[in-house]
Amino acid sequence: MNIFLHELKAYRKSTIIWLLSLIAIMVLFMSLFPSFHKDAGEFTKLLEGYPESLRKAIGLDLNNLFTIMGFYTYSLTFIVLVGAIQAMNLGTSIVSKEAREKTADFLLTKPVTRSTVITAKLMAAFVSLVITNIIYGAAAYGMASQVKVEDYSLKMFLLLSLSILWVQLLFLAIGIVMSVMIRKIKSVLTVSLATVFSFYFIGMIGATTGDASLRYLSPFKYFDPSEILKHSGYELSYVITGAVIIGIAISASYYVYAKKDIHAV
Amino acid sequence: MNVIEINHLTKTYGKSRGITDISFNVEEGEIFGFIGPNGAGKSTTIRTLLSLIYPTSGNAKIFGKDCIEFAPDIKKEIGYLPSEVFYYDNMKVFDLLKYSASFYKKDCTKRIKELAEIMDLDLTKKIDDLSLGNKKKLGIVQGLLHEPKLIILDEPTSGLDPLMQQKFFELLETENQKGATVLFSSHILSEVQRLCNRVAIIKEGAIVTVEKISTLQENNYKKFKIHTKTALDKGYFDLPGVSQLEVKDHLVHFLFRGNLNGVLQKIAETDITNVWIEEPDLEEIFMHYYVKED
Repeated sequence: MNIFLHELKAYRKSTIIWLLSLIAIMVLFMSLFPSFHKDAGEFTKLLEGYPESLRKAIGLDLNNLFTIMGFYTYSLTFIVLVGAIQAMNLGTSIVSKEAREKTADFLLTKPVTRSTVITAKLMAAFVSLVITNIIYGAAAYGMASQVKVEDYSLKMFLLLSLSILWVQLLFLAIGIVMSVMIRKIKSVLTVSLATVFSFYFIGMIGATTGDASLRYLSPFKYFDPSEILKHSGYELSYVITGAVIIGIAISASYYVYAKKDIHAV
Repeated sequence: MNVIEINHLTKTYGKSRGITDISFNVEEGEIFGFIGPNGAGKSTTIRTLLSLIYPTSGNAKIFGKDCIEFAPDIKKEIGYLPSEVFYYDNMKVFDLLKYSASFYKKDCTKRIKELAEIMDLDLTKKIDDLSLGNKKKLGIVQGLLHEPKLIILDEPTSGLDPLMQQKFFELLETENQKGATVLFSSHILSEVQRLCNRVAIIKEGAIVTVEKISTLQENNYKKFKIHTKTALDKGYFDLPGVSQLEVKDHLVHFLFRGNLNGVLQKIAETDITNVWIEEPDLEEIFMHYYVKED
């Protein structure tokens, strides 16, 4: 419990900053909605001029872009990206920061097992992400209510908003397994940005070509907002794949970390 | 009873050497010195005892329990001070100590205040703002606040001024009198000499010898350097107990062990301009052990 609280406190500042950025992007997008909605005809004409593959790559769906949920779906492609970076940063740093800041000797000479350490750190990261999503969700709901022109399904709104958390959990797991495998991570941001953007671009290519197998390669597309909107729910096969990846990554992290030599600085 | 039992402990890092077949015991209530030059394997041995790294073969027992299998249990009673101390920079000294204490199921607040007083440590400062020496003091308080039965120190004196070193040694002696066993690693023989009952000497990953300090002192070598007015006959200082004799024009070097009066008499009989009699450094002591092995 003491490690958990200590870690939670350590992430407090960065969690607040990420949360504010997420809300800022959401507010920026949603505040554009009323004018988008008003001039829907002209925007459609303008956007039809774009090649279809480009529209697919950036997630523009002209059929529903001018409904509030459709517009929110479009903003989510960017919001999820930011959320993924937050989660990947957390995942990559929770274990590697002890090595980088040379505090591993302090923590691991205490009467605790390595799995206790990982559990506490994971729980702290998880709680930080959940808090981020709860506050973000409340803010997004408030904003959507402000700009809406027609009623929308609350269930749909929740399903869409929660896609942030699911993608974050995937990247948290990927981040932590990478951080225990790589001997020393000098810069967390480099590693996490590179990973997140690689997956993001794979997802974009997948969306353009419509290749279903490519979709499995990008965690972003497991909970793709436009697909959620289309199916009015999550797709089971991707939910299962996501859960399996998280399960494997987390168990591998426990295993590797327990066996790992902690080298002197 | 043995507090630490190390049996044929070997640790290799890929191809490079770590430690090979190390065995020695530390008895309860001892202050045990562990000396050797940098890179000899002191830290590797200590880190294995603390299960920070895992042995390639062999094992070690602390309080009679395997140091890997029962690591969390054993560590309740271990205080560790690394050679370089690093803590969470943005924490305050007292918060870090409280965090450290929270791992041991007892109230350590009183002990923290006591130790901070002895070591003259400001509890209100931020860790980031501490000097190297003050960080070291924090490390000492952090390592001792839960009144451990075994204190493991890895080159603890670097960065401490002589006054603090003195206080720290007194603190260790007090803890020792209260029943704590101490494993003290160092590359400085003199500090080990004054504090320890026994020492293990390690070189290139292997134990060279484990001896009582009193035995080492009987083996007390002196390093002589004599500058004479006239060139000397090469054989002049070739006495029993003299080794590594070097004569170069007016300068004579040698190591000596035995009755000092004989040598001093010899020196008195010559016309000298200067004389230096010093404690040999560790390298030279090791040389002696190598010679003995051959």
